Amino acid sequence: MVKLTDVSFQYEDKVVLDGVNFALDRGDFVGIVGPNGSGKSTLMKLILGLLTPTKGKVELFGQPLQKFREWNRIGYVAQQVAHGAGGFPATVREVVASGLVGKVGMFRRLKAYHHVSVQEAVDRVGLTAKLDQRIGSLSGGQLQRVFIARALVAEPELLILDEPTVGVDQESIEQFYSLLRSLKEENSLTMMIVSHDVGVMTQWVNKVACVQKKIHFHGTAHDFEHNQEQILQQMYGGSMKLLSHHH
Amino acid sequence: MLADWWQYDFLRYTLFSGILIGLICPILGTFLIVRRLSMMADGLSHVTLSGVAAGMLLSKKVAFFAAINPLFFGMIFSVIGSLFIERLRKVFRSQQDLAIPIILSGGLGLFTVLISIADGFNADLYSYLFGKIVTVTIEDLYALVGVAVVVLGTVLLIYKELFAVSFDEEFARVSGVSRRAINLWFMVLVALTIAASMRIVGVLLISALITLPVAASLQISGSFRQTILYAIVFAQTSVLGGLYFAYLLDWASGGTIVLMAVLILLVVLGVKKLKVLFR
Repeated sequence: MVKLTDVSFQYEDKVVLDGVNFALDRGDFVGIVGPNGSGKSTLMKLILGLLTPTKGKVELFGQPLQKFREWNRIGYVAQQVAHGAGGFPATVREVVASGLVGKVGMFRRLKAYHHVSVQEAVDRVGLTAKLDQRIGSLSGGQLQRVFIARALVAEPELLILDEPTVGVDQESIEQFYSLLRSLKEENSLTMMIVSHDVGVMTQWVNKVACVQKKIHFHGTAHDFEHNQEQILQQMYGGSMKLLSHHH
Repeated sequence: MLADWWQYDFLRYTLFSGILIGLICPILGTFLIVRRLSMMADGLSHVTLSGVAAGMLLSKKVAFFAAINPLFFGMIFSVIGSLFIERLRKVFRSQQDLAIPIILSGGLGLFTVLISIADGFNADLYSYLFGKIVTVTIEDLYALVGVAVVVLGTVLLIYKELFAVSFDEEFARVSGVSRRAINLWFMVLVALTIAASMRIVGVLLISALITLPVAASLQISGSFRQTILYAIVFAQTSVLGGLYFAYLLDWASGGTIVLMAVLILLVVLGVKKLKVLFR
């Protein structure tokens, strides 16, 4: 589904990613982990076409990124704090409907069946009762579910989430991952999730990729858990001490 | 007194222009405010002013330009200004709000220089600054009708794209929306609206009509569509009430319209406060 071949990226003089090779296969639920500034968000932005690699090739669904136009096959949930969306005067229905903008196409209006899709996406994330409420009245966890519904409404095959649990309370984080897992099973979605919270995320995903300029590990979550200390020390340096916590 | 509005052409032109302005300003204003670009109208209005001054100067110095409405130059300057703002927002990516004061100061600087070159203008300039009922001509009305058709047509055709880009630019981009084209076209529409509305509201007050009705609407609306709808209702009330009192009391139309809009905002805030107190 996604293939990165020898991809490098640099901001001015700073090399963020250096010769990265990475592939995402259908049905994967991959967690991308790495310290702050390791390049994990850059990796995600390169896949989404928000950044252009300085070197190497990015392919989506078998097509080079430059030629790829079927963006409705990819759903995207950004970091919630980046939105600052609470003050925006829109309802849950309006925000979720905006997820159809690429699928419906320019100059075309939403049809009755699109509105049914919106209703269904909101039902799936358990916010039916909030459909016509302003998003400002929702909690952080509920708002995050609105963004998932917005990403799901166009029925993507691949869902990419960037630090989706930042600003979400602990109880909601557990519910959130549980929701992701059931959505994945119901809709046979492929998922990629970028997170700094290694402890929680690795309990839910089936594959893990560790990024620090390069990909230091890419394998099953099971293998990662067994070699966790060694992998993280390699990435963070010898002085690192691992503190594990379970919620 | 109401009969006067039908008896005199200039009053009819003013009335129709006012209704159109009260329709398009709050629509564009809603998109500007939710994107935290409410100062955009201020910046562009100063550039428009320098365009009008350039038009007046040319018509004074070159006979050929005497027949051209200075508003036309205002529109050209305003559109160029809007393109500059978009460009500057990209240059100052981390301090995007800098783009507006740069354009605003530049516009005002150019305006004062043009006045000094022309050795002062006649009283007509006052009407561009603060709006005056008697100055609206049939040409001004035609220009406004044209701009209103383009603005309303655009919003009807690409409402969902405008909403998506306003709510979350990054998501819109990932969805395949041409964010750059949408932003650029939107800025051009704002520029044209400012230039076409300045005869009634006055260039220095136009941003108030773009922002105040939306500010009031945001206090009570339950959705984005409702925000636009209430803002239109408040803007129409401000414009029609303002024009009526301006004519009755012989006040500047722009100032009176803006005072009406401020009054509406205060009433809405007051009613909201009372509702909270008595809940």
